[in-house]
Amino acid sequence: MFDLIIRNITNRKVRSALTICGIALGIFAVIVMGAMSENFHQTFERSMSVTSDKIRVFAESGVFGGGLEDDKVSDVLRVAGVKDAYGLLMTTFDEDKMGMTGKQILGVPPEKSSVALNPVELKAGRFLNPGDSYSVVVGNNIKREYGLQVGSKFEIHDKYFTVVGILDYTGSIFDNAVIIPLETAQDLYNVGDSVSYIFAVPDERVDAEMLSKRIELSVKGTSTLSPGELEVQAKQSFMIFSVITISSGLLAAIIGGLCVMNTMLMSVAERTREFGILKAIGAETRDILLLTLGEASFMGLLGGILGIIVGVGAVYIMNAWLETTRIVLFLITPRLLIIAMVFALLIGALSGLYPAYRASKMSPMEALKHA
Amino acid sequence: MSAEKSGTDGHKDGQKVIMKVENLSKTYIRGKIPVHALRCACITVRKGEFLAIMGPSGSGKSTLLALIGTLEKATDGKIILDGTDLTSVPEKLLPRVRREKIGFIFQHYNLIPTLSALENVELAMRFSRVPKKDRRDRAKTLLEDLGLGDRLNHKPTELSGGEQQRVSIARALANRPALILADEPTGEVDSKTRDSIVRIFKELSEKGQTILVVTHDPEVAKECSRALQITDGLIKDN
Repeated sequence: MFDLIIRNITNRKVRSALTICGIALGIFAVIVMGAMSENFHQTFERSMSVTSDKIRVFAESGVFGGGLEDDKVSDVLRVAGVKDAYGLLMTTFDEDKMGMTGKQILGVPPEKSSVALNPVELKAGRFLNPGDSYSVVVGNNIKREYGLQVGSKFEIHDKYFTVVGILDYTGSIFDNAVIIPLETAQDLYNVGDSVSYIFAVPDERVDAEMLSKRIELSVKGTSTLSPGELEVQAKQSFMIFSVITISSGLLAAIIGGLCVMNTMLMSVAERTREFGILKAIGAETRDILLLTLGEASFMGLLGGILGIIVGVGAVYIMNAWLETTRIVLFLITPRLLIIAMVFALLIGALSGLYPAYRASKMSPMEALKHA
Repeated sequence: MSAEKSGTDGHKDGQKVIMKVENLSKTYIRGKIPVHALRCACITVRKGEFLAIMGPSGSGKSTLLALIGTLEKATDGKIILDGTDLTSVPEKLLPRVRREKIGFIFQHYNLIPTLSALENVELAMRFSRVPKKDRRDRAKTLLEDLGLGDRLNHKPTELSGGEQQRVSIARALANRPALILADEPTGEVDSKTRDSIVRIFKELSEKGQTILVVTHDPEVAKECSRALQITDGLIKDN
């Protein structure tokens, strides 16, 4: 039966090619949007694993509502079960670009810089030391973008800093981090003793979720985000992002599916008499279904393969181009390729379902009378 | 009715009844008016008979063919073909009946334009799940027997009307049916081709193949072992 399917497709070359291109375009969109989502997912997963052991303490008014006074650190430290606590100041590096590049200034107490970044390791140099003021540790992407080495000078907010350490590549937000001493950051950005949030490290054998609640109750004017809550929150934002990206890809693919359905309906209408002949010579309903569904599914398969090849190619080209701006936006994973292929096949088969049903239900006598 | 009169002697199964049509009727409803396309038709056909059904347009001969071919459902009556009552076969099993018991030949040949002569003949056997080699061999033999040995790989558009009709005959014979139904098989061809097609039918009939032909052409009817006249849905024996 497969040879008949191939023959029907190749018999109407231009129409079949256009239909296959329609599906390919949809699958291309699924691949590109999906690759963006996969990259975001990977960054999120890695960032979570890097900061998963700490409780974040914010001002009650929220992270955008204003800073938290540095003296709250000692209040947090007094809560039973807190092993360590320190404030961090976080701000965007490139204010003129509204933080779109994802680069962040992280003001960290120098003596806590290694624990705050744990388990991120250094590629070169050292973490910040007590007494450092205009020293900076940079993430891997920052290092590559500005061509920095240990000892290089790096300008931040009109001040020159000396690069003392370079972080290993993590695939997380720390690749775009610029880490400077907390007090220097507070001076630089004129925020007094404010910090963005406090990292509270729970004692071993202390339940982080319980401790998080305890801190919130004990330290006035704060709200906390436990590792569990952070994960839920981050997952929600990730879901929203994924839904937006994937659904725009899916929309394109569904348009491709309608393209197949249109082609198949035309093809079935044109071949009405042919189906009548097939039925008269003894074709079963399942034979007709197999022929029409097979044709639609095979076009889905070809469109899927073409869409994946072009999509993967485009992602590589875009990533190579974005490399110059040190942004990695797309990530192709085996999971994404499988989803795209299955989706292409499903679209082909589902779009062929109605035309196939129509073909199989034709009365042979009526079909034979068809001009 | 001429059911008892056999015109097929000369072979040992000549007397065996292969099909019996009993009180077969078909009524269509056009708007609210019933149209009686066929009324109480009774025919008995013996194995190896070459039977003609003649009649003017709209007389009900094509309806009779469609009913025997299970392409339409009868309003009343019975068709017993090769021991099976076709009117009581469930819809789902009709394709099997068409494959195993009936071979169709159409006025406009009705070959699949994208397939070669050989593939068109094979097609009928595909649906019977005949293994590829066996169906290829049989299709080749049938076409060679019908003088199309050098046209096996030609598409229908590359064949003459007579050649296309011979491919159509080969396709009808592919599954060794009990009955061949031919609807105006010579309607589209010249007299020379018509004569050669009739000759093929006669030879097949002599070999024991039962053939029922619907025709306008008295020249075709003349060559048949028996001819029945149909007028206004009523069958009369000539």
